[in-house]
Amino acid sequence: MQLSAGDTAWVLLCTVLVFVMAPGLALFYGGLVRAKSSLNMMMMTFVAVGIVAILWTLYGFSMSFGDTGNGFFGGFQLAGMGELLNKLASNGGQLPIPALAFSMFQLMFAIITVALISGSIADRAKFSSWALFVAVWITLVYFPVAHWVFDLGGAQAGGTGAGWLANRGILDFAGGTVVEINSGASGLALALIIGRRVGWPKSPMKPHSLPLVLLGAGLLWFGWFGFNSGSALAANQLAATALTNTMLSGCAGLLSWIFVERIRDGHPTSLGAASGVIAGLVAITPACGFVAPWAAIVIGLIAGALCAFTVGLKFRLGFDDSLDVFGVHLVGGVVGCLALGFVATKIANPAGKDGLFYGGGLTVLGVQSLGVVTVLIYSFVVTLAIGWVINKVMGFRVDQEAEVDGIDLDQHLETAYDFSSASGGALGQRTARATHTEVSS
Amino acid sequence: MQISAGDTAWVLTSAALVLLMTPGLAFFYGGMTRVKSVLNMMMMSVVTIGIVSILWVLFGYSLAFGNGTSSLIGTIDFSGLGSAVNKVVENGATYPIPLLSFVMFQLMFAVITPALISGAIADRTKFLAWAVFVALWVTVVYFPVAHWVFDFGGADSTGAGWLAKRGIEDFAGGTAVHINAGAAGLALALVLGKRVGWPKSPMKPHSLPLVLLGAGLLWFGWFGFNAGSALGANGQAALAFTNTMVATAGAVMGWLIVDRLRDGHATSLGAASGAVAGLVAITPGCAFVAPWAAVVIGVMAGGICALAVSVKYRIGIDDSLDVVGVHLIGGLFGCLAIGFFGTSFTTGSGKDAFTWGAKGLFYGGGWHLLGIQALGAFSVLAYSFVVSGVLGWIIDKTMGMRIERDAEIEGIDLDQHLESAYDLTSTVGGVLGPRTARVLQSQEPS
Repeated sequence: MQLSAGDTAWVLLCTVLVFVMAPGLALFYGGLVRAKSSLNMMMMTFVAVGIVAILWTLYGFSMSFGDTGNGFFGGFQLAGMGELLNKLASNGGQLPIPALAFSMFQLMFAIITVALISGSIADRAKFSSWALFVAVWITLVYFPVAHWVFDLGGAQAGGTGAGWLANRGILDFAGGTVVEINSGASGLALALIIGRRVGWPKSPMKPHSLPLVLLGAGLLWFGWFGFNSGSALAANQLAATALTNTMLSGCAGLLSWIFVERIRDGHPTSLGAASGVIAGLVAITPACGFVAPWAAIVIGLIAGALCAFTVGLKFRLGFDDSLDVFGVHLVGGVVGCLALGFVATKIANPAGKDGLFYGGGLTVLGVQSLGVVTVLIYSFVVTLAIGWVINKVMGFRVDQEAEVDGIDLDQHLETAYDFSSASGGALGQRTARATHTEVSS
Repeated sequence: MQISAGDTAWVLTSAALVLLMTPGLAFFYGGMTRVKSVLNMMMMSVVTIGIVSILWVLFGYSLAFGNGTSSLIGTIDFSGLGSAVNKVVENGATYPIPLLSFVMFQLMFAVITPALISGAIADRTKFLAWAVFVALWVTVVYFPVAHWVFDFGGADSTGAGWLAKRGIEDFAGGTAVHINAGAAGLALALVLGKRVGWPKSPMKPHSLPLVLLGAGLLWFGWFGFNAGSALGANGQAALAFTNTMVATAGAVMGWLIVDRLRDGHATSLGAASGAVAGLVAITPGCAFVAPWAAVVIGVMAGGICALAVSVKYRIGIDDSLDVVGVHLIGGLFGCLAIGFFGTSFTTGSGKDAFTWGAKGLFYGGGWHLLGIQALGAFSVLAYSFVVSGVLGWIIDKTMGMRIERDAEIEGIDLDQHLESAYDLTSTVGGVLGPRTARVLQSQEPS
């Protein structure tokens, strides 16, 4: 097949857009935590970018999308990615884009998924343990699960090496299971392993910079257009459908979350608006290429309201999922995946399926539930095991005193802000050297 | 040649991405300065966008890419750009994109290059003197050097730059952008001298989240910078994109590892600086090396630059935000690395087949490529350093380049712009969202 410049341009652009979700998430999370742990929060995302990109090149892409494996594992023949240069992407059909472009697009998904988990263990995780966790988790959880769902096999759909869920026809356009449920379940498991923050939930742990949160939410929304409509892997009608649904669901999530807040707490908050957008985007992620625009609005409204309630659960159940990875990503992801069982329609995507409301019966809902439950359980159990081992071997948590003083100082020897201009704050490496020169001279 | 909508969309998008790097750089640099000079730092980038864009239209594009016969400089026949409207790009071959989209893409490179220099002279430069320097520097240094390296001549290669003609491999500007800016930064830091109190008093970044925001936006825009340099949406662009991603990831890890081993802590300033170091180092080679080599180049660049930024304390040059340590050293390393890791690629088959790249030392190509890379790197370095030093010296002698000592201590923002970056005086203790309200509620009865 001939390379299409238009499709390639679109997929490359979408890859850049998904990339910027990582810095966007860092700002979103970084603003949500207290000033004394903002840098560590952002660093968890940045180091994930570094680690995952390297592992992806070495073996990750091959494990996820290799053609020599089985339903559970992609094989190693694409390790190093050296062979990809001259190929077109083949994933259930020959796509008119370079395989390297497809590989980079999928890399950004791997990065953002593991970065999402960091929100559940804010303020208290050892940086080196986190880095190790990222490398192990991405290998044992993300790469296989991406293969299950996203690998449609070789040049023929459902051909050799397709993932077992993909083979059964699960509808997951841009990663409701692989990205959202996966990160949400892992976040929950890790929060249980690592335990509550000192003082939680007694002392209020307020966001230190809501403008940073809104900036992050804005960048996430911006990038999510690439995430969802880029998953069409071409600049076509399907991409336009996905983009439309992404826009509508984000808006609906925003409105329903602040509506719930207004009714329940009396005031719509900026934190609620930012969280509502994310909830709507999470929920539409699996569905954006399979539903009509009206359904996208309904999914967004349900997800916004439901997530606004579920983020309160942690206080009742007593697990410190600090930045609501469980409440937003797991719950929103489940809403989106299961909603497809009802509102999926071939009108939106001829290659899709009809759900219950379109006369398709219960089969879609059945497959969706199977996917949701297996990914949720696999991710939760394996993450629990990885977290437990790391905790036993090297410890996953900083000292209590260090946590109270602020993890930024303890783990990075820096503080986020220095508004004094003259003194105070911590010493980064360059300035530490300056002081060092001072002392010795 | 027929215009290709897909290639044009990609080059236009890339131009926009590269433009965003300059505001990104303003955040990156702005966060690294003290709170009293953040606005001046950002303004140096912002005013550069204004000045260079206008000069580019008037004569800059023509001096860099005009269709003459000189290998040292272009012509003035494109001045005003009026005659560019209806043409497609010819730069060693004919590309199916409008010439104006190429003009804008290249403009963004001309904008970011002088903006990079500003990091070397933070906190102490007269704003007007900086503006004059920018106008002179792009005219005398950037436009000619861009011609040397980036101009491959017309469709028959006449009028190509002297380094381009010799086959230097610089895909997206390791020489013209990074070595160029790094050498100029070194020259200016020498002309201007140290900041008051440097290196005795620590001059810490006032907002590391701003630095990380800037680094994120730079990385984001750099995909346009590197992959856009393919001037089409094709396999070469995908290769450049891939290498940009994995080399940068490698450099983040390389810098953090040095941080950790040497100072005991992996810092966020190190992660941000490492990302930029990796981006700089892969810029010249992004379409000439394999992905595994990009990872190696990235890790090494991160480590080398992390070590290089401390040299300024030993030799006493106040290159305030490490333009030399990151851009000059990273650029040199990236250019020379191609001499070792460079290889040749082919995409497509039959009549669509497209082959590019020369083999370096590790692929059996001998020393030839390394020689050309070194020639290019060091001639740009020398030219840029000498001419920038002379320009800086003249400006300093005639209008003065540095603000008064008292103004510097009080803060350059107030002195040069009569503004201060933040006014947080009306802040109360934050607000209660529903989540925190619930926390307080759950506290009450118990």
